[in-house]
Amino acid sequence: MTALLRYQGALLLRSQRWLAPFVAYAAFVAVGIRPGDPVLDSLGYAAAGLVPLAAWLVRICVTNEPGAARDCAAAAAGPVRVHAAALLTGLAGALLTGALAAAAALLVCDRAATGPGAAAVAGALVTVVCALTGSAVGALSGRPLVRRRGYGILAAALGSLLALVLAPSPARGAVSALVSGARSGTAEVPLTALAVALALAAATGTAACLAAARRG
Amino acid sequence: MLRGICLEVPPGALVRIEGGNGGGKSTLLRLVAGIDAPTEGRVGGRPPRTAYVPERFPVALPLTALSYLTHLGRVHGLGRAEAARRAAHWLDRFGAAGHARTPMAELSKGTSQKVAVVQALLAGPDLLVLDEAWTGLDARARSELDLAVAERTAAGAAVVFVDHDPARLAGVSDAHYRVEGTGLAPVAPVAPVVPAVAPGSRVRIRAAAAPGSVLPPGLSGRPGPDGAVVLTVDAARSDEVLRTLLGARPPWHVRTVEELP
Repeated sequence: MTALLRYQGALLLRSQRWLAPFVAYAAFVAVGIRPGDPVLDSLGYAAAGLVPLAAWLVRICVTNEPGAARDCAAAAAGPVRVHAAALLTGLAGALLTGALAAAAALLVCDRAATGPGAAAVAGALVTVVCALTGSAVGALSGRPLVRRRGYGILAAALGSLLALVLAPSPARGAVSALVSGARSGTAEVPLTALAVALALAAATGTAACLAAARRG
Repeated sequence: MLRGICLEVPPGALVRIEGGNGGGKSTLLRLVAGIDAPTEGRVGGRPPRTAYVPERFPVALPLTALSYLTHLGRVHGLGRAEAARRAAHWLDRFGAAGHARTPMAELSKGTSQKVAVVQALLAGPDLLVLDEAWTGLDARARSELDLAVAERTAAGAAVVFVDHDPARLAGVSDAHYRVEGTGLAPVAPVAPVVPAVAPGSRVRIRAAAAPGSVLPPGLSGRPGPDGAVVLTVDAARSDEVLRTLLGARPPWHVRTVEELP
């Protein structure tokens, strides 16, 4: 599995297809996070943007390998593990980007209202929740569940939007808890949302991997 | 679609699958290699080290050939240094050592196919699945692949292959199946052809080509000014000589074949 992750990571990095989502997200963060803003607000804003970013990166990773190369890797390691490696690479990319954005928010924003430690913990958890939710959206809107590129992009965009506005979504729950925490000055630790996001990502990831074994 | 198929591939066996275009040969090979799972039934007992060569491998990956092969070697379970060493060794065997540092996207079709073959061979798989892997390879690489297949089966690995050339590995296959409709039928092994000629008898072949043509390598004879040539060969070798003449580019026209008294 480590070898597959390293291979997928190399493909993602060297393909440079990560640049577009990364630049879009950097612009989103740069526009929304100002020095002196309340830190919890900014962390919530950065994490919310992570949902479409994660979906985008996961979609890139599952389509990065041409079919013939994927078949060779699938014969060597099994199609389930090949697909899982692609999903995990996308998730790792989203987590890394989210960590950078959260670190920037913690550095430049106003931490007076909340303790820096509490803000960092809450920010880290919300980042993880949003990356997991976005990856779940990406897993559902990419190959092998959605094969057509156009439908896939549409599904990823719509799915990300729904993940941010629908009440049961862990990403929405965690972000709104953080933002309302900014009003009251208390950083809430979104453990329920984390558990839901983990379960959601695991379920959608498993479904996509099993479908990959069934029909490439 | 395939249904009700029962295929057993014992270790060390060389199994040939044939069938028409779009008949399901590739589907069957993908099931054998574990790339796809069957909708019903199961494929079991696959050795942990399985490798597959697709029919076409014009792959635009953002890696060099050597880097791709090293990654794949590690996916097969090799260490980094060992994977790189074996990748270089196998690229050299297939005459592609000069392309080790070439980006995959810039490789020619044939060299891409060599990379596909090398990724399958470098880990010494216990099950090797070849879907027309010879297509696109040059003559030297084709015979190198024949040799590599023989090495794998001698080492106890099972090899399952499809190739459009009926002569491919003919005579050394242990089992031969044909995809017919949705099923798989065993093809009776062709008994080795015993030359029905008395030892020492000879055959005279008259052939012709455009004036000035030279004989294909391996045949000795001097074409006349009109392009005609007479070859007298051992009867046991006559089929081979005819194949060489007809297979030459441009082909020779065989006028007569007669057995000498």
